[in-house]
Amino acid sequence: MMRVTISVVETINLRKTYLLGKVPVNALQGVNFKVDKGDFLAVLGPSGSGKSTLLNMIGALDKPTDGKVFIEGVDVSTLNDNQLADLRRRIGFVFQFFNLIPRFTARENVELSMSIADMSRAERRKQAEDLLETVGLKERMNHKPAELSGGEQQRVAIARALANTPRFLLMDEPTGNIDSKTASEIVGLIKRLNEEKGVTIIMVTHDQRLASQAKRVVQMFDGVITREIVN
Amino acid sequence: MKPRDVFSYSFSAIRLRKLRAGLTTLGVVIGIAAIVALLSITQGLQDTITRQLQTGFATDTLIVSPGGGFGLGAEGAMGTAGSGFKLFVNDTQTINEIENVSMSMARIQKVSYIKFGERVQITTIVGVDFAKYASIYSSTFVAESGDIPPNPENDTVVVGKRVSDPWKNGTLFCNVNDDVEIIWTNATARPPKNETYIGHVSAVLQEIGGFGVVGPSDSAVYIPISKAESFFGTDECDMIIVKLENDDKATIDSTSKAIRNAFDKQVQVMSATAVLNILSSVFSIIELFLGGIAAISLLVAGIGIMNIMIVSLMERTREIGILKALGMKSRTVLLVFLCESVIIGLMGAVIGIASGWVLANIVAIVFRGGGMVMGNQAAGTGGMTITPVLTPTVFLGALAFGVGVSVVFALYPAWRASKLKPVEALRYE
Repeated sequence: MMRVTISVVETINLRKTYLLGKVPVNALQGVNFKVDKGDFLAVLGPSGSGKSTLLNMIGALDKPTDGKVFIEGVDVSTLNDNQLADLRRRIGFVFQFFNLIPRFTARENVELSMSIADMSRAERRKQAEDLLETVGLKERMNHKPAELSGGEQQRVAIARALANTPRFLLMDEPTGNIDSKTASEIVGLIKRLNEEKGVTIIMVTHDQRLASQAKRVVQMFDGVITREIVN
Repeated sequence: MKPRDVFSYSFSAIRLRKLRAGLTTLGVVIGIAAIVALLSITQGLQDTITRQLQTGFATDTLIVSPGGGFGLGAEGAMGTAGSGFKLFVNDTQTINEIENVSMSMARIQKVSYIKFGERVQITTIVGVDFAKYASIYSSTFVAESGDIPPNPENDTVVVGKRVSDPWKNGTLFCNVNDDVEIIWTNATARPPKNETYIGHVSAVLQEIGGFGVVGPSDSAVYIPISKAESFFGTDECDMIIVKLENDDKATIDSTSKAIRNAFDKQVQVMSATAVLNILSSVFSIIELFLGGIAAISLLVAGIGIMNIMIVSLMERTREIGILKALGMKSRTVLLVFLCESVIIGLMGAVIGIASGWVLANIVAIVFRGGGMVMGNQAAGTGGMTITPVLTPTVFLGALAFGVGVSVVFALYPAWRASKLKPVEALRYE
C-alpha cells in the first residue's frame, strides 16, 4: 500500500537502554507511534515511564539503541552531527524549566534561535516582536527572565520555540513548574496555537488534566505504550 | 550563526563576568607588557650602543692591537695575550705601506691622575697625533671650548667633557687655559715612582656620550703622542688605528688580512663592522633570554585562561545544551568559546602593549636620572641615554602572541564544550 502523507514524526520499535551507574535501564522497550501534521499529542505517564527519553529521541537530542525515528520521513539515525543540528532548528523545544538564557531579555532569547538559523538582524527583530505579541508578552519583551514570572518565562520559551517556524513543538512538562492558574493560561495558548495556527504539538506530561486537553493521548508505562485515547 | 552574532554572543558572556574576565585579561596584560617593555628597552639599548659605537668607531677604520686573543680594543684592557709581541709607535710605517690604507696612527694610553688645585681625579691619559685623530674622528674629537692645535706644544692637554665637568652641574674641575698636573705611577721602576708634569689645557671636548671604545671619550685626557712616549718612557703602543680608503667589506677583509700577515699574525685586527656584528648577536641572545622570561609569564596567563574557560564551561553546560537544542552546530559552539578567548587575548595584548611601552619609558627615564652615569671612572662610560624602541615586529609579534596563547589555551575547553551531548548538557545542574 502506498503511503499518501508523510507523518511529521514516526517511531518504529524504538528502544533505548542506558546505564545508571553499572545497571542497565531499559527506558524504551519498543515504542511505535505516529504524529501527523496538525496533531496535538500528549504522552502521559508517571515519572520513570520513559516519556522524557522518548522526547529526547524525537527531538534528535539523543540516539536510540535500536529502532528508528523518522522526522518528516527522514531517518534520524542516518544524520551526522551537523545535519542533526539543522534538524533541531526545525523542532521547537519547550522545557519544564524554561531554559532561557538569563543574561538576555525576552526578545533576545527569542532572537537567539533565529540568529542560530542565520536570520538577519532586522528580520529576526521583527519576528521576535510578532511572536511575543502572539504569546501576549509584547509589553515585557525587554525584561530579563529574572524579572518575569514563571508563566511569562514559559510564554517566552514558547515564542522562542516558534521562532524558526518549526515542524512541530516538543513540550516537556510545560506547566510542571508554574501555578495552576497560569498553567491553564499556558494550556489555552498551546491549544490556540494548535487550533488556530495549525502547529503540530507533542507534549509530555504526567498531569492527567493537561493531557485531556490534547486531541490524542498515548499512555506510557515501563517504556512501552499501554494505551491510546483519542479525545 | 553569522560571525557578528558569534562575536556579540561571546561578548555578552564576557560582560556577564566582568571581574573574572578582567582578572584573566590582567594576566595577559602583564605577560605582554613584560615582553614589550623588556624587548623595547633591549632594542633601545642596542640602538644606543650601536649608534655610540658608530660615532666613536668609524666604519672605515681598523684597530690593530697586539695578540691573537679576543678583545674589543677597549681602553686599558689590552694585553699581549701571552706571545709577548709588542706594537710600537713606528709600526705605523709598516701599515702605511699596505694597500688601501690611507693613514694610520698609534695610540698609547695609561691610567693616571690629573690634579688641579687640591682636586685629583683618576683618568686615562691617551697619547695620540692630534691632527690624525681629529681627521679620523672628525665628529667627536671636536673642541667645545678652546682649540685642538694640529701641531701641539709638548705640554698641550685636551680634556674630555667629564674631566672638565665631572659632576655635570657646572662646577668645573678644570677649564681651558688652566695648568693641570699629570701624575702617572711608574710601577715598573724600582722603587715605583710618580712621574709628573704640568700640562696646559688648550681645549675641552664637546660632550660625546656613550663609551669611547676606541674613539674619543668624555672621561679621557689627550696629550700629544710624542709627549706620551717621553713621559711614559716607552714607544710601545696599545693600538694602531688605521684609516682605510673606503669601508667596503672587501677592502676591510683584505686589508685586515694584509695587516695580520705583515706582523706575522701576532696582531689582531678589529673592524667596526665585526664589533657591531658581535654586539648584535650578543643582543639577539639577550633578547631571546628576556623574551623567554616574559613569555613564561604569558604562559601562566594562558593557563589562567584555560582555567577560567573550563570553569565557564562547567557553569554554562546547561546553556550549551540549550544552544544545541536550538540547533547550534558543534563548530559554532567551538567558535563561541574561542571568540571569548580571542576577545580576552586581544584586549590583554592591546592594553599590555600600551602599558609595556609606558613601563619601558619609565625605566628609561629612571636610568637617565642616574644609575648609568659613571663619568668619573677611568675606563668608564659617558652618560648613557636609552630610548626604548618598539619595532613593528615586536608590536605585531606581541599582539599575535597574546591572541595566540589565548586561543591555544582555550582550544581544549572550547573543544570539550563543542563535544557536549545536548541531552546530557540539558540535564546538567
